[in-house]
Amino acid sequence: MKKATFRGLFLVVLAGALVFRTAGLGLRPMHHDEANQAVKFGALLEKGEYRYDKDDHHGPSLYYLTLPLVKAAGRHTLASLDETVLRLVPALFGAATLLIFLLFLKSAGAGAVLASGIFLAVSPAAVYYCRFYIQETILVFFIAAFLASVWRYVLNPSWGWAAAAGLCAGMMYATKETSVIAFGAVAGGLVFTLMSGRKGGEARGEHGRFRAWHLLLALGAALTVAVLLFSSFFSHPKGVLDSILAFRNYIARGSEAGWHNYPWYHYLGLLAFSRFGASAPWWSEAVILFLALIGGLAAFRRGRLDKPEPSFPRFVLFYAVFSTVAYSLLPYKTPWNLLPFHLGLILLAGIGTDRILGTLRPNAFRAAALTVIAAGVIHLGVQAYRANFKDFADPRNPYVYAQTSMDFMKLVKRVDDLAAVHPAHKEMLIEVVAGPYETWPLPWYLRSYASVGYWQDAERAGTPSAAAVVISSMDQEEKLQPRLGQGFHSEYYGLRPEVVLALHVRNDLWERYMTEKAGK
Amino acid sequence: MNKKITIFLALAIVSAGAPARSQDQSKVELKLQLPKPMFIGTPKNIRTPNLEVVTGKARGPFYVPAGTKLVSLKKPVTASDMAPVIGETSFVTDGEKSGEDGYFVEFGPGKQWVQIDLKESYALQAILIWHYHSQARVYRDIVVQVSEDRDFVGGVTPIYNNDHDNTSGLGIGRDKEYIETNEGRLIDPKGIKARYVRLTSGGNTSNDMNHYVEVEVYGIPVK
Repeated sequence: MKKATFRGLFLVVLAGALVFRTAGLGLRPMHHDEANQAVKFGALLEKGEYRYDKDDHHGPSLYYLTLPLVKAAGRHTLASLDETVLRLVPALFGAATLLIFLLFLKSAGAGAVLASGIFLAVSPAAVYYCRFYIQETILVFFIAAFLASVWRYVLNPSWGWAAAAGLCAGMMYATKETSVIAFGAVAGGLVFTLMSGRKGGEARGEHGRFRAWHLLLALGAALTVAVLLFSSFFSHPKGVLDSILAFRNYIARGSEAGWHNYPWYHYLGLLAFSRFGASAPWWSEAVILFLALIGGLAAFRRGRLDKPEPSFPRFVLFYAVFSTVAYSLLPYKTPWNLLPFHLGLILLAGIGTDRILGTLRPNAFRAAALTVIAAGVIHLGVQAYRANFKDFADPRNPYVYAQTSMDFMKLVKRVDDLAAVHPAHKEMLIEVVAGPYETWPLPWYLRSYASVGYWQDAERAGTPSAAAVVISSMDQEEKLQPRLGQGFHSEYYGLRPEVVLALHVRNDLWERYMTEKAGK
Repeated sequence: MNKKITIFLALAIVSAGAPARSQDQSKVELKLQLPKPMFIGTPKNIRTPNLEVVTGKARGPFYVPAGTKLVSLKKPVTASDMAPVIGETSFVTDGEKSGEDGYFVEFGPGKQWVQIDLKESYALQAILIWHYHSQARVYRDIVVQVSEDRDFVGGVTPIYNNDHDNTSGLGIGRDKEYIETNEGRLIDPKGIKARYVRLTSGGNTSNDMNHYVEVEVYGIPVK
């Protein structure tokens, strides 16, 4: 492939990836997890306050990486934020992962890099979670950069690549605890690749030598980044120790029985084929899985097309296999956790595509294969569109997981409409009486209200009759109703499938609202 | 005399208000510390049907006059949309009340209605409605009307209406919203005579679509 052709095609793919990831970022209601992250980021934005929480929320990188973008957008308070500005952070990192693929050009070749870029650009899973204000996409970006830095170092040992690998490792650790799986998979991949190399190790450097101080430099860079971020830039040194203690929690959560436990084949099944209900559409990323399989097989086949670095496909294959196995064996599974090994499968699929198109003869066969792969890519793109712009909150979409329903937005609108006619407007007293799982994402959507109280038990709540609006989960209704008496008008809204919230509006406010509505 | 009293009262109010104002100036706003939300991890993902009753206790017995029978079974059903998204309009009166896929009819988003032709007039004693009971959800703007007029132009009597903000334009309802369960919603028509029953709804808390698993109308033939 000519350089100019590659550049042109790659730019088109990058532009497509950006559009898919950044268009309509405000469409989907905030997920429970996103709202948690957003409100936590609000404390950093408004008060410069961040404390690593070893029990939840993962690492600090998401918040610190959000800060410059949000400030550049001229936002300085939680209330001034919106879904778009926050989700832009993972979306941009998701698109930037394609740029990291350029570091594989020397090892994989232009065809494989271009194909991998196309798969990443249109994969429904990759696109969907890029539009989530959570850590996964940022983790994937740094895993890709770490893979590239490690491999480039192996090819050409230098202090630069060692430092880059260290920085990426530090950022991975500061992003999410599951980075240890990626570290293990990369290390295992490297060892197996070097062991499986022919001619006494093809993957060894040609232009330099491994030096111990390179390793120390990498470790130093990783530690510096991790310590800076976990200690909140030395304002909370305990955060560093907590980041280690956190593993006890995450290991327990990952291995114990719980809501998010699924069988080992769950992720692969989700990617291969999903359909919920006879009338629901079906979803599949089988084309990526199939081409990854071809890429994996090609990693052990030598020939004239083993260009320019024959060991690279094996490195990617080992990384993909180790990370897929590790994530699959962990009982705890949430769908966005598949992204780190999905990255390996996408790289392998790119290699597989390149091998198929490079080996098939005569040209008619190659054209047929290209047509089939192109159809697969279009199908992925159609699914990505459906997943992100049409069925983004539909539980029949396999990437939708504990997602806030669209109906919840009607509750938000109702509260806003009520506040508009209340004499105190956004200072009206709102009481939320619900357990934490039924509370979120309310704190995000009520962020501009001055007087909102959150109680988990109706018996401990403030005086409900003093509130203009009471929002409660159904399990609190029995205890709440006697306290509300006849003074409130009630209606119901869906928070998530099976989870309904009650909105109780004080009668005088309701009458005022209805009068205003009738007058319009 | 009255004028003097008025002036005196006005002065009294002003003088009473003066110290209050000076006291206000020395005060600062009391900043209320309301409890903050508790951060917590990913909630449970629910995708499978669940027949668990979320609220309420089992319905008690409902008494009807002797001779009351089910008069809606297999009776013709018309709808605001005769080409449902899922299923067929006949599902509404086919006697199947299962909550599984294949037993409900789904109509498009927003306001939709179904209408049952009982083929003759009955003194209606009970109407039982199952919209969709394999998931806890609330259907909105439910209005049940009966009439002798097929087109519901004249002689229309509403017997249930929980459209509290008149979204459907059929009048403000005072009945309560409720969570769907496998018990269905029992409505008491109080013996009103009618041949046609029309049920309107406007989406639900899970999506904007409208569903019916079954509607049962019980009555006594009008002699």
